[in-house]
Amino acid sequence: MKTAFKATLAALTAFSISASASEFSDFYKYEVLNAKKVSKELTANVNDSVWKTVPGKYVYLYPQISVRLNDKKANSLIPKKKLQRALVKVAYNDEVIAVYVSWKDDTPSIQAKYDTDSYADGVSIEVPNKFGKGITLPYIGMGDENHPVTVYLQKTVAGRDYQKVFVSEGFGSLTEIKEKGADISMKYNKQTHLWTAVFVRPLKTENSNLKAGLVPIAFAIWDGKFQERDGNKSLSRWKFIRLKDYNVDKDYLSYVAWGVPYKKLGDPARGKQLTIQNGCNGCHRYDDQKVAMPGLAPNLSDIGGIANAPYLKESIVNPDDVIIRNLNPNRHYNKYAKPDKFKAYPNNDMYKWYTVGSDGKKHSKMPPFAHLSEKDINDIVAYLKTLRNWKDFK
Amino acid sequence: MSKRQLAMVMDLNKCIGCQTCTVACKTQWTNRNGREYMYWNNVETQPGAGYPRNWMEAGGGFDENGNLQDGIIPDMVLDYGVPWDYNHDELFGNADTNILSPDSDPVWGPNWDEDVGAGDWPNSYYFYLPRICNHCSNPGCLAACPREAIFKREQDGIVLVDLDRCQGYRYCIAGCPYKKIYFNPKLSKSEKCIFCFPRIERGLPPACAHQCVGRIRFVGFLDDEEGQVYKLVHKYKVALPLRPDMGTQPNVYYVPPVLSPPTFDESGAPVEGSERIPMEFLEKLFGPEVHQAAKTLKEEMEKRKRGEESELMDILIAYSHKDMFRLDENYYQQIAEQQGLKGSEFFKIVDYRYVQGPNTEKVKVESYFDVKESKEG
Repeated sequence: MKTAFKATLAALTAFSISASASEFSDFYKYEVLNAKKVSKELTANVNDSVWKTVPGKYVYLYPQISVRLNDKKANSLIPKKKLQRALVKVAYNDEVIAVYVSWKDDTPSIQAKYDTDSYADGVSIEVPNKFGKGITLPYIGMGDENHPVTVYLQKTVAGRDYQKVFVSEGFGSLTEIKEKGADISMKYNKQTHLWTAVFVRPLKTENSNLKAGLVPIAFAIWDGKFQERDGNKSLSRWKFIRLKDYNVDKDYLSYVAWGVPYKKLGDPARGKQLTIQNGCNGCHRYDDQKVAMPGLAPNLSDIGGIANAPYLKESIVNPDDVIIRNLNPNRHYNKYAKPDKFKAYPNNDMYKWYTVGSDGKKHSKMPPFAHLSEKDINDIVAYLKTLRNWKDFK
Repeated sequence: MSKRQLAMVMDLNKCIGCQTCTVACKTQWTNRNGREYMYWNNVETQPGAGYPRNWMEAGGGFDENGNLQDGIIPDMVLDYGVPWDYNHDELFGNADTNILSPDSDPVWGPNWDEDVGAGDWPNSYYFYLPRICNHCSNPGCLAACPREAIFKREQDGIVLVDLDRCQGYRYCIAGCPYKKIYFNPKLSKSEKCIFCFPRIERGLPPACAHQCVGRIRFVGFLDDEEGQVYKLVHKYKVALPLRPDMGTQPNVYYVPPVLSPPTFDESGAPVEGSERIPMEFLEKLFGPEVHQAAKTLKEEMEKRKRGEESELMDILIAYSHKDMFRLDENYYQQIAEQQGLKGSEFFKIVDYRYVQGPNTEKVKVESYFDVKESKEG
């Protein structure tokens, strides 16, 4: 199907926004952040007057519950979390891109200098290292082996400016790098109860080149009050920055805009039945489907908020495209296997989300459901997009 | 999953709770840089809340099917205890006061409940329990780390934190059922007992074991059949892991305190064959094997009393450090030799992820330690 639309669109070269305004208007309205081109220098100063002139858009961030971490107190707070909303503005000049993120927090938290259980507020953005025509979206949770991402993080840690840049290929792979020209600042306004952060980086770095018409970007916010850190956070799905200086690739636009808005995509009730008929609930837990053993596969209860429709479709049709290495494989050991001479049990492979073929290539344990009809897939994705519940998290 | 495994045996019948081990460890590793509150080695009294407070109820470890369990992160003030100082300078200077007082108002600290124990006089009881990291075969801390920053060395099974990868998320603390990994708030990273690996690699036992006044600690490789550790754990089976039910397969073993004094009856007379420390409590701590261990220990003790030979009793008398600390006749130097490493390169023989991460740019070890190339040979 994908090849078919590629063929149809292949003849067209230049792309006009106005021509397709109707077709993609919902996508532009809900998923695209329009960047403002400026001529002045851009810095990480949150009070820079430039931000008064840049229009913003709200981005929603959902509590992460796809994977479950092991802090009892932090887990007990997850159902009490509210949907996070951040105002995002993007500006750029010929060299640099700056992203402004502002969100409400009535209880600013700073990780204390001498405490064991206080946690920082924080914010991060991620961009794929490669994107554009023919390149599928990375896993939202810090990328995957086929799709490395660069992550920019700022946390409020007492006594120091805790800002870091990482390259990541999924859980456990985050590696800190020094990126020339990257800078972040984060400030709290006591009057408005708003945190504001500004990220700046060169458009082109060693790891990624953002000089493109549509740049995927995702956001995460940590609230220290809820003992958030690491995967315990709120995150957005992939959003797309529109840089008007650069052309939008039509194929890429068609790919990322697919399924927006999801309410027009298909019949969620039928989609739910299809997930059950196809045995999704054998491994995944979601909605009222709670038969699968926890940890066997990502929990989908909140997937609608954090995953984009094309990503969900890709994951159903071709799960091998995004191989997610599960959280630390040592979390489950096989009690029924023979321990070694020091009584160490091997890891329980049942909880591993992929297998390694004889060619050394990793394959998702989820079989491809490419045989499903287009309507079936649309209905399933439409259903998955409705899943936005973290209140029942245990 | 390591090729070899270092282990320690502690004979609880001989621990006098003098804290010399604690001080040896503290002055070596934890008296600075955000580690002030940590006790990589502590000695607590049992029954008791222990250190950190109520660590046995703080979760972590694995369930009976091998799945990591949720845990909590102890609080600095309520569970660990903030290290406090006394007004010594004031008292010994031109003092307006002659009252010794702490500089803060502590509500809890290590050994807060020392010697309290349980039971009623004259049958009250307690014993000392020294604790270090158990360098487990299935470590809960290692399993919990979302960054996979914790590793177990191939050469000896020592569990270490790769400080380059650690981001201070603290899931390791929740995951360790012994609460023997600590958050360093100054560095915003987790740190733990390193089994004194820089000493071990030079053929010396960990400082806590070396300094032990009661000579209760034995150190060696678990697969070294000539070693006393092997004999206590595998041959005589009198050294048992602490809380084996927590599922991490610990590698610190304890000779349980089963040679306790008898109880007294109402008239104040000792009850023949009785034990002050209830076996049910010891079973909770050391598992059902504690009964057989007690039997063996008592039988061997009787043998010795009859003037017969007992290898087990000879080991527990701890005649010589040379036998107690069997680091396998320069095992590490042999590895170095095999790899053709010389001088300061010796640092590289064992996993040096402790000082630099596997995914970060390699920095020369010399620049960390200012090591001068030795001019041997």
